[in-house]
Amino acid sequence: MKKAYPNEWLLVTDYERDRYGNLSVGVVERHSTDKDEVYRLPSLNKDCAFEYTGESTFRGFRDHAEHHCF
Amino acid sequence: MPNITVFDPSEYHVRLVGRMRTAAGLDYEYRAILDTGAPFTEFSDQFLHAAGVLPGIASSVSTKHGLQTQKYRRLKLLRIDICGHVIEDMQVYVSHFEKHWGVDALIGLDFFRQFCVTINYNAGQIITEPYEV
Repeated sequence: MKKAYPNEWLLVTDYERDRYGNLSVGVVERHSTDKDEVYRLPSLNKDCAFEYTGESTFRGFRDHAEHHCF
Repeated sequence: MPNITVFDPSEYHVRLVGRMRTAAGLDYEYRAILDTGAPFTEFSDQFLHAAGVLPGIASSVSTKHGLQTQKYRRLKLLRIDICGHVIEDMQVYVSHFEKHWGVDALIGLDFFRQFCVTINYNAGQIITEPYEV
């Protein structure tokens, strides 16, 4: 899914994960580079997973400082 | 018996899959980072809202200077699953998350207070078990 939807947010149902928890197969109900678009209501009335296929830029306090303090 | 959770040690973080069950009986899976720098577990307001457990997102809340996230309320989650442990009625913080983080939860030290956590980075394993009372 990372190859099919690079750097996108996904809402996926009927999925399977690999040993690291990455989604290997599933039905992509929504996908977008805009998180708001994928997380919008109404939500699906079934079990689902939210996933981001890009690299997390979370770096703790350093991350915040780089984006907001300099 | 301890639970063994596998993670990818080549990633920058210890990134996990968590699961939350709602009162409607639906399971929502999310990505989380095990964050020893977070005193408490935090969830993104956007995820909680999308899952139907948070009525609305506080648009007036902004991240204060010097903070990474902006916690603005607490919420009791009916049932969540972290590293294979089911935790009921867990109090978590609701926060604004930066979208580029790519996750919806930071698992904080409150989890470590409930469970003995051993991280084997070489093997890419997190070994967790409740503390003996």
